[in-house]
Amino acid sequence: MNSDDPKLTAYALGELSGEEAIEFERMLADDEGLREALKEIQETAGMVRVALGDESASILTTKEEDQMIATAIEGDEEPEAKMVRVPFYRNPAYMSLAAALVMIFGLLGLITSMSIPAYNKDKPTVHVVDTKKPRVVRHLMEPTPPPALSANELNSSRDQQFAYSTQQKVAGLDKNKSRKESGAVIEKGIRTRASLSEIESQLARGNEDSMSLTMSSEPKILPPETPISYEPITPVRDGEFNTEAYDSIEDNSFLLVEHSPLSTFSIDVDSAAYANVRRFINARQRPPKDAVRIEELVNYFPYEYALAERNEHPLKINVEAASAPWQEEHRLVRVALKGKEIDWEERPASNVVFLLDVSGSMQSQNKLPLVKQSVELLVRKFGQRDRVAIVTYAGQSRVALPSTTADNTETILHAIGNLTSGGSTLASAGIEDAYKIAEKHFVDGGNNRVILCTDGDFNVGVTNRGSLVDLIEKEANNGVYLTILGFGIGNYKDATLEELSNKGNGNYGYIDTLREARKVFVEQVAGTMVTIAKDVKIQVEFNPAKVQAYRLIGYENRRLAAQDFNDDKKDAGEIGAGHTVTAFYEVVPAGMDWEAPGVDPLKYQKPVPKLEATSSDELLTVKLRYKLPEADESTFLEEPFVDTGNAFAKASEDFRFAAGVAAFGMILRDSPYKGNSGFALVREIAEGAQGNNRGGYRSEFLHLIDQAEMVLAIKLPL
Amino acid sequence: MNAERKKQPENPGMRDEVSDDRQQWIRSLVERHGSPLTRYARTFTGDMESARDAVQETFLRLCREDAAKIADHCKPWLYKVCRSRALDYLRKEGRMIPVDNSLLTLNEAPGPSPSADLEKSEKVESVMQVIETLPPNQKEVVRLKFQNDLSYKEIAEVTGLSVTNVGFLLHVALKFIRKQIRGEAELMPESRGET
Repeated sequence: MNSDDPKLTAYALGELSGEEAIEFERMLADDEGLREALKEIQETAGMVRVALGDESASILTTKEEDQMIATAIEGDEEPEAKMVRVPFYRNPAYMSLAAALVMIFGLLGLITSMSIPAYNKDKPTVHVVDTKKPRVVRHLMEPTPPPALSANELNSSRDQQFAYSTQQKVAGLDKNKSRKESGAVIEKGIRTRASLSEIESQLARGNEDSMSLTMSSEPKILPPETPISYEPITPVRDGEFNTEAYDSIEDNSFLLVEHSPLSTFSIDVDSAAYANVRRFINARQRPPKDAVRIEELVNYFPYEYALAERNEHPLKINVEAASAPWQEEHRLVRVALKGKEIDWEERPASNVVFLLDVSGSMQSQNKLPLVKQSVELLVRKFGQRDRVAIVTYAGQSRVALPSTTADNTETILHAIGNLTSGGSTLASAGIEDAYKIAEKHFVDGGNNRVILCTDGDFNVGVTNRGSLVDLIEKEANNGVYLTILGFGIGNYKDATLEELSNKGNGNYGYIDTLREARKVFVEQVAGTMVTIAKDVKIQVEFNPAKVQAYRLIGYENRRLAAQDFNDDKKDAGEIGAGHTVTAFYEVVPAGMDWEAPGVDPLKYQKPVPKLEATSSDELLTVKLRYKLPEADESTFLEEPFVDTGNAFAKASEDFRFAAGVAAFGMILRDSPYKGNSGFALVREIAEGAQGNNRGGYRSEFLHLIDQAEMVLAIKLPL
Repeated sequence: MNAERKKQPENPGMRDEVSDDRQQWIRSLVERHGSPLTRYARTFTGDMESARDAVQETFLRLCREDAAKIADHCKPWLYKVCRSRALDYLRKEGRMIPVDNSLLTLNEAPGPSPSADLEKSEKVESVMQVIETLPPNQKEVVRLKFQNDLSYKEIAEVTGLSVTNVGFLLHVALKFIRKQIRGEAELMPESRGET
């Protein structure tokens, strides 16, 4: 065979049938030139595949897909809709006619608009933009629209169209049957176009001329009370079509010690917010304020806090204080915990059920393919003692891999390789199946865990959040924990995911790159997989003789009431092996001239002389309660702390770095308490604290500071 | 997104005629093939808008087909219909629009890591550039094969070429790409054929 035979390519691409392939391989065996040529073809084919695969991300948004589906299904019901296949209005003749009509209406509109105060700045104008083309069509087919109907026609939603037909009757418009039908066809046509116009409208924003022409016809056909704006070309803020959901966070304010000497909160080792914030910044977008959870930013980085001596407690309290870099006269107090380390080889056996979202929304490159790689990473860390199962959910849930011991690498990897995305999301059924498998293979004293990988789009059917939470809580009490890993962009549901993982005694991470997956599943695998203490609560008592006021930085959604501290029924955060938890208090020293913002002096109490309160030198005492993973009752430990008045520059490197990250978070949140924090300050702090740069996270942070400064320098539109 | 997805099935009176199964089927096809088809159509139309129209029309047609008849060759069927819709559009417009390269990168999601090794992306870039210089018929089969994962037979069904022709075009295209990447010869691509 000639080395230029197309058969070579066919073979390389797996196109030869069994017999042909065998014959070809026989020839290949005794022809080196052929083998060489084949190798080259295979290499080239690989390159082309990679290059073209690089472009294979979704170019339709989920919204566009949905609209396509809706339109297609409607077309299915009404064969007349065939008409719309031909984009007749694109015909130049129609176009010019349409343009002429639009112009006439436009002029009328301009005149009429003078007397109509139909201006409402508060309402967005998406509908107006959407219906640009449909209206052209409408004018064309029905040049004398009865004004009462037009508002409905402007809106392409179906409900409105029903309203339209109803109103036709109400208005007593005498239309015979065939007229109505042709009306329906027109409507159909309008709807089809409208459903495709989402991106068009974006493109059209640049095209002010044609827009203003169409737009100016507005007042003529609109009843004055219709809330519509004259500004169709509203600049779009970043992420306007972004459906990501975050719970809102208000920065903790300063509290006076005389009013509230106790500060209580649940620990949180999650670090999802950092990866998510990084994703925004790298995409040149300012992260939404509520996506910036400062405690998660700080906790993203590894710190080398002292370990518990002896094995009395599985965790240790570390307290340190220095001046606050953003407010020199304030003290910054760090309360840190370190969970004991566990040698991976000595870990308890694992019984892990992956619950993977394979719905259509997971299709893009940074979702399902990354999920698969992540699962593979973890499977490779496991051994013969561990069990892995995979449940997938989309339209329905499916057991993709029954519980299998992790040494069957090939079977598991094969199951992973076969996962494909498609269909809509129905999380609740999948989660029940996953828990069933986890219970069936429950390992006493082991790591029993469901790992949910999703973009959080639980979007079809009865996803009753309440009963889902109940289920997760119940299973957590039975010893099956829930870890949630968030993937993807655009419709990432942060709030849902964090809440669910908290209820499930689990952790919550955001995975945007393979590197992040490696951090969660390889570098910190023990922390992710082995919980060493649960329901960990911290209560800090401040000494009024030393402290006038204090503010907890971050942990806004983890605050507890003082009495919850001793209530063992109150759920709180878990800590994994080797995990660290860092919390900062900004403290206003007693005796300093400082005015509590927004608080009037007490009317019925006289200020008690501070020195009478106690003669202690202690600034504060940190109290901690935790439960061992199997325990129902909590253990108590405490650590008093005396502030020696360290300057910030004298503080430990970990302290300084973490403080820099907290300041960074305050800048991104535009916190009212950020003081003198600025990117320059953060950069200076971070550069001076690069010592523990294991994993390169600290040096990456330097890069992120630069990026963030650039992103924030771009003035927000509007 | 949540709200929208939920809304659709709730529209009264509209869904009864379409069984849930069929809806589910159409949904899964749009989700799986919608984006790749749009990208494919865009290589003909040159703009997103009409590419999306072509795909929309393809799915409208799909809905009027007997599912049983095309179920076993859905994918090539979709590409074939989409292709002819896109070409219809070109014919109607009476012009051929070259694909604007800048459009090709529009809307693309970022790769796994923004700072992924440069070397790889440079190579990808140069391979893409070479692919762009291929004659249209080669370019098309290369895309159908390597991007859309169609077999020779399926490509033949979509394009109306014979299987042998498909094999030949792919062979020649790969050979050309290899030579260009190596920079061995300044081989010009064969005379540009019609699509």
